[in-house]
Amino acid sequence: MTVDLDKYVKPGRDYYIALGLEGSANKLGVGIIRQPVGQLSQTNRAEVLSNVRDTYVTPPGEGFLPRDTARHHRNWVVRIIKRALSEAKVTGADLDCICFTQGPGMGAPLQSVVVAARTLAQLWELPLVGVNHCVGHIEMGREITGADNPVVLYVSGGNTQVIAYSKQRYRIFGETLDIAIGNCLDRFARTLKIPNEPAPGYNIEQMAKKGKHLVNLPYTVKGMDLSMSGILAHVDGLAKDMFGKQGKKLVDEETGELITAEDLCFSLQEILYSMLVEITERALAHVNSNQVLIVGGVGSNERLQEMMKLMIQDRKNGQIYATDERFCIDNGIMIAHAGLLSYRTGQTNDLWNTVCTQRFRTDEVFVKWRDD
Amino acid sequence: MSLIPTAVYSAADLEQPHEFHPGDGDHTTDGQTTQISEVVIKAGGEDRDKPSEARDTPLGHLRAQLTTLQDQINVFLTERMKSEKSAITGKEEDDIERRILDDGVDEDEED
Repeated sequence: MTVDLDKYVKPGRDYYIALGLEGSANKLGVGIIRQPVGQLSQTNRAEVLSNVRDTYVTPPGEGFLPRDTARHHRNWVVRIIKRALSEAKVTGADLDCICFTQGPGMGAPLQSVVVAARTLAQLWELPLVGVNHCVGHIEMGREITGADNPVVLYVSGGNTQVIAYSKQRYRIFGETLDIAIGNCLDRFARTLKIPNEPAPGYNIEQMAKKGKHLVNLPYTVKGMDLSMSGILAHVDGLAKDMFGKQGKKLVDEETGELITAEDLCFSLQEILYSMLVEITERALAHVNSNQVLIVGGVGSNERLQEMMKLMIQDRKNGQIYATDERFCIDNGIMIAHAGLLSYRTGQTNDLWNTVCTQRFRTDEVFVKWRDD
Repeated sequence: MSLIPTAVYSAADLEQPHEFHPGDGDHTTDGQTTQISEVVIKAGGEDRDKPSEARDTPLGHLRAQLTTLQDQINVFLTERMKSEKSAITGKEEDDIERRILDDGVDEDEED
C-alpha cells in the first residue's frame, strides 16, 4: 500500500505550491516548490520555482553571534521573500501552505524567521507546517539525486549524523558526541583567521588542496559515533604554537620540510573525513545498503565526496549521491519540499504549536509520507 | 487611516501596568536597541544588514513607530532584568550566610 498524498489537493488543481523559510543558522533562505499530484518519482518530479538565500557573514576570526544573526534574518526576510515570490512568479493566493524550520538550530535566528512565517500564514490565511531541518536536507537530497533509500550522511556546521530510514522514521545510526564537523572546521578557520566569505569551510578546502604533509592528529571514532572536540583542540594548539608568539617550527618527519597552514588544513580534513567514511561504511553494512547520500553544508566539500566515492566503489553496485551548494548548504527550498510532503499527509501546525526548538532530533519526526 | 501601536506590560509585582506609546517626534526603522553588536564592528565588520527605511505610507509609519516602541520596551525590560538580577544575587548571598550559620544544614525553603 502506498500513502495517499492527494487528500488535500485544492479543487481544480493537479499540483501544490509551498513556500519554505529557513533560518536555523547564518543562512536565511526562502524557496518556493511545486509538486505535481501523485507519488514523486523520476518521471513525476518536484519543480524548484525559486530558491533565494542570503548569508550573514562575519569578519575573519569571528563566529556568528545569535543576536546579530537574528537581526540579519529579521532585516532581510521581507526582501528575500519578495524576491522569491517574484522569481517564482507566484502570489500568496497560489500557495497551499507556509513551511518553516522548527528546529534544530540557533534559538534567536529560528525565532525571528518563524515570526515571518506566522505573519504570512495569517496574512494569506494559509496553514503552517513546521519542518525538522535535518529531514528537510534528507528529502531534498532524495528528490534532487533520485536516491530512493540511501544511508544519509548529514554533515554541516551544527550537525553530524549517519541516518538510515526504517519504518517511517529516519533513524540515527551514528553521530557526533560533541561538536559538529562544520563547527570543527569553522573554528579552525577562525584560529587561522581565514575569511568567512564565501564560507570558512570552502576556504579551508582550497588551502587543503595545497597541503601535502599529513600531520599526526588524533583519530576518534567511538563505535558508530565520533568525537571531534579533541582533534580541534589538538590542531588549534599546533596552529597557535606555529603562528603565535612562540613561532615554533614544525617539520615533516619524512621529508624534513616545514609544516605550513595548508598542511594543517589538509591533515584536519583527511582525518575528519576518514572518520566519517568509516562510520558510514559500517552503517551501510548494518542496513545492507549500497547507496550513500551526502547532505548538509560540509557535503559540498569535494574532497569528502571523493573519499566517500573511493569507499563506495569497493562495494557491490555502490552508488554515491551528493548535491551542489544550492541544495547542500542550508536553503529554503528543502524546507518547502519536506513541509509540503508533510502537508500532503495532513500534518500541519496550529498557531499555538509553532514554537521553535533548538533541540529537535531527526528521529522524532513521523515520516508519514513514506511507508516502504 | 492612522495606525498607532501601543503596548502594555503587567506583572504581579507592578502596582499598575506599564504602558508604552511611541509618542510624537521622528520615528525611524533604525532602532537604538537593535543595532549590530559592537564586537562585530570592532573586529572590522561592516553593517550591511540595516533595516530598509520606512516608506511614507501608513504601514511605513507603523514600522517606524513600532521600532520606537520596541526600543522603549527593550530599555524597560533590560532595566527590570538588571534589578531582578541584583535582587537575586543579594538573596543568594543571604542564603550562603544562612547556610553557614545553620552549620551546613540545607533546608528547602518555600517562599
